[in-house]
Amino acid sequence: MKRLKKIPDKTICEAWLAYAELPSDTLIPLIYKYQGARSVFDTIVNKKENIGFLSSEQQKKLFSGADDSTLENFSVLINQHNILSASILDSEYPDSIRHIEDPPPILFYQGNLEVLNHKRRIAMVGSRSASYTGLRNTRSIANELSSQGVSIISGLAYGIDTQSHRGCLDGGSPTIAVVGSGLDKTYPDGNLSLKIEIVEKNGVIVSEYAPTVKPYGYHFPYRNRIISGLSHAVVLMEARIRSGSMTTIDHALKQGKDVFCYPGDPESILFEGNRILLRDGARFFTTAKDILEDMNWLDNPSYVRQNIDCSTEKRPDNPAEKAVVQALEKGTLSFEQIISVTGLSSSELMSTITLLQIKKMVELLPGKKYRISRQ
Amino acid sequence: MEIIGLPDASVRESRDRVNAAIINSGKQMQPRRITVNLAPADMKKEGPSYDLPIAVGVLIATNELIPSIDFLHEKTAIFGELSLDGFIRPVHGALPMVISAKENDIQSVILPYENAKEVACIEGIRIYPVSTLSQVIDHISGSHTIKPQEQISFCDLRKEQHVPIDMSQIKGQQGARRALEVAAAGGHNMLMIGVPGSGKTMLARSLPGILPPMTFEEALETTRIHSICGRLSPGSGLMVTRPFSAPHHSASVASLIGGGQNAKPGEVSMAHNGVLFLDELPEFSRVALEALRQPLEDGVVSVSRVKNQAQYQSSFMLVASMNPCPCGYYGSEKNICRCTPQEIRKYLDKISGPLLDRIDIQIEVDAVPVQEINTSKIAESSAQVAERVAKARKRQQDRYYGMPYHCNAQLDNKGIKKYCPMSADAIKLINAAVETMNLSMRAYFRILKVSRSIADLDEIDIIQSSHVAEAIQYRELDQKYWR
Repeated sequence: MKRLKKIPDKTICEAWLAYAELPSDTLIPLIYKYQGARSVFDTIVNKKENIGFLSSEQQKKLFSGADDSTLENFSVLINQHNILSASILDSEYPDSIRHIEDPPPILFYQGNLEVLNHKRRIAMVGSRSASYTGLRNTRSIANELSSQGVSIISGLAYGIDTQSHRGCLDGGSPTIAVVGSGLDKTYPDGNLSLKIEIVEKNGVIVSEYAPTVKPYGYHFPYRNRIISGLSHAVVLMEARIRSGSMTTIDHALKQGKDVFCYPGDPESILFEGNRILLRDGARFFTTAKDILEDMNWLDNPSYVRQNIDCSTEKRPDNPAEKAVVQALEKGTLSFEQIISVTGLSSSELMSTITLLQIKKMVELLPGKKYRISRQ
Repeated sequence: MEIIGLPDASVRESRDRVNAAIINSGKQMQPRRITVNLAPADMKKEGPSYDLPIAVGVLIATNELIPSIDFLHEKTAIFGELSLDGFIRPVHGALPMVISAKENDIQSVILPYENAKEVACIEGIRIYPVSTLSQVIDHISGSHTIKPQEQISFCDLRKEQHVPIDMSQIKGQQGARRALEVAAAGGHNMLMIGVPGSGKTMLARSLPGILPPMTFEEALETTRIHSICGRLSPGSGLMVTRPFSAPHHSASVASLIGGGQNAKPGEVSMAHNGVLFLDELPEFSRVALEALRQPLEDGVVSVSRVKNQAQYQSSFMLVASMNPCPCGYYGSEKNICRCTPQEIRKYLDKISGPLLDRIDIQIEVDAVPVQEINTSKIAESSAQVAERVAKARKRQQDRYYGMPYHCNAQLDNKGIKKYCPMSADAIKLINAAVETMNLSMRAYFRILKVSRSIADLDEIDIIQSSHVAEAIQYRELDQKYWR
């Protein structure tokens, strides 16, 4: 008689199950029926029983997926990357996504899953190739929300996602990243250090994909339902109409979440999605305080942004500085434009700008443009 | 007729040219064996400039030509290429040949007519420009001597200076114009960063016009290098306009710094005493850029090849331009940049720290709006700017008299400490800047050098806070979002 396979650990069984990529309306009943991945493994691999609602192909796929080398590989990766898992049966599975349409049957995670039950969770989404101002604003708003005890959820991509996570880490709250590949992979590569930092600072990286699964393009819009599902409200920073960020918003609306939308530059194509959303009734906000107020999260009603200080240092000292500040108060201007507005010579303007930069009243943007510093 | 003494193909072929030219000049070539020996025998000879001397030597040796007493009395050098019909064609490298003739106590030179203007400024040597072999024969035999060429004074030549792009043609770009002026005043290397079409190339091309005019020695050095490489247009005189060399970014190391089988000067030497413009700096190969470090530091390049070893002068101002990101539109309003931060960093990292270190002024150039292009406002001309620059340079020459520096850009840290005194306000300002803008120590010294030049433009000895404040704006890459 052939020796029976020892049933592997729970996480390995769950990886095996998730790797087969069964549709969730098949997988969830399966997990419920057999009360866990290990007994599914036992039934299929050891007892070789036929399961009624699996097609023969699915059954074969699961059976052949249980060969020793695959399981061994899972085990190695899971240990190496400290991957943990929770299925929809488990009590630690976050309630916020248990009841969304199409919940992920199994969640893999690195770090502290408790964070998903944090009292205040906001998803921040936006373009990977966002404008410089968009990135700066994202960072400062995430920072401020985080300092008020809000956890930021995002997707670990470049651009707005990265700035949201970083801003949240700067502000001191743990942050949550939902990714579209197996947790042994990092996509994009450049965010490896961010990923490590998130876990170190008590945050969590979540994925519905088993280890070894590659970051396929179609994973990302799909995982966006988890981003919106985990959050109390979704904040759109900067998006075009046809973008992944807009799918997150769609999910959020289906799930009945609040959607906040940053106005952005009304003329830029980068904010097209924002404009449509605002027109359709998304909540308008420009500062973190707006969000906190709307969500009723203002602990201290007299709260103002902390980093505005009205010290004497922040005043223009001479007519030239005053002229430049006045010109910039009306909007962002390029170097040449400031010259034509103020009539200063280029050498005068250069030294004036340096003085204003030192006082942190003016900041430089790409393309040699300047604006009043928001810090 | 046989030619010995390591001739290359073009020298060996001169046999046929000499033969035909002599016959076509009405002289006889007896059918007999002639051996032409080029001494010293161990040095390779190349090029067609030996045609004329070989022809004259053969004629004298075969008694077809009897030199006059006058001719025999003075030491004469002869060079030129012959055509089959007996006309004389110009050669490369006339200027260096005449200079070395003069150094070897030769009193007169017979050379092709087209090369005469090139050497017309050299004193103390008689120049006989000729255009046919029969002219040379008549001159040597004394039957019809040629008048030596009149010397042209350098001052007269200088009036012919031709500025390719005058600053008055540049619309807008107040910031970049000022940066160019400061760069010219202190001899600082410069990097311009800007979206495509923002006018970086045009700005760079205007730089030679605001640099101080070349001195006689500088003009001689520069013309010499161009003469060797055959880059002088025929009939042109000594170069009085500072050269502007703009190699394409596919340039190899050898074409950039010099080399090849026989070690020829490269683009950096062509830019000697002028401007070397590297458009699209990150597109140059890394090795090529690294090879620039020696000429940037020492003003000479040493080229070693198996057959040859040479040093070429190459003291130039480097002006480089680049886009802010691979697609070029980072920070642009009209086009949207599609580069990821990693791509941008990778692009910028192509320029190594040590090279960037030698570039004192880094500015961002913004595209000029259409309204500006159409204005009839006439901007300052190059001549006006050049006047201020010349004054600033003069101050530097006086200050660094007897020191190893010529201009502010060459100051080392010791020199900076000695020659860059700052007012109390200026010290306070730069300290504040280092703190708030995260400037490195290296940037600190660069800023001091540049503020020295700005103060020189203002004709002030002690660097004021406004000078430092302006200089800080020329360190864009240091304070930038992208680092």
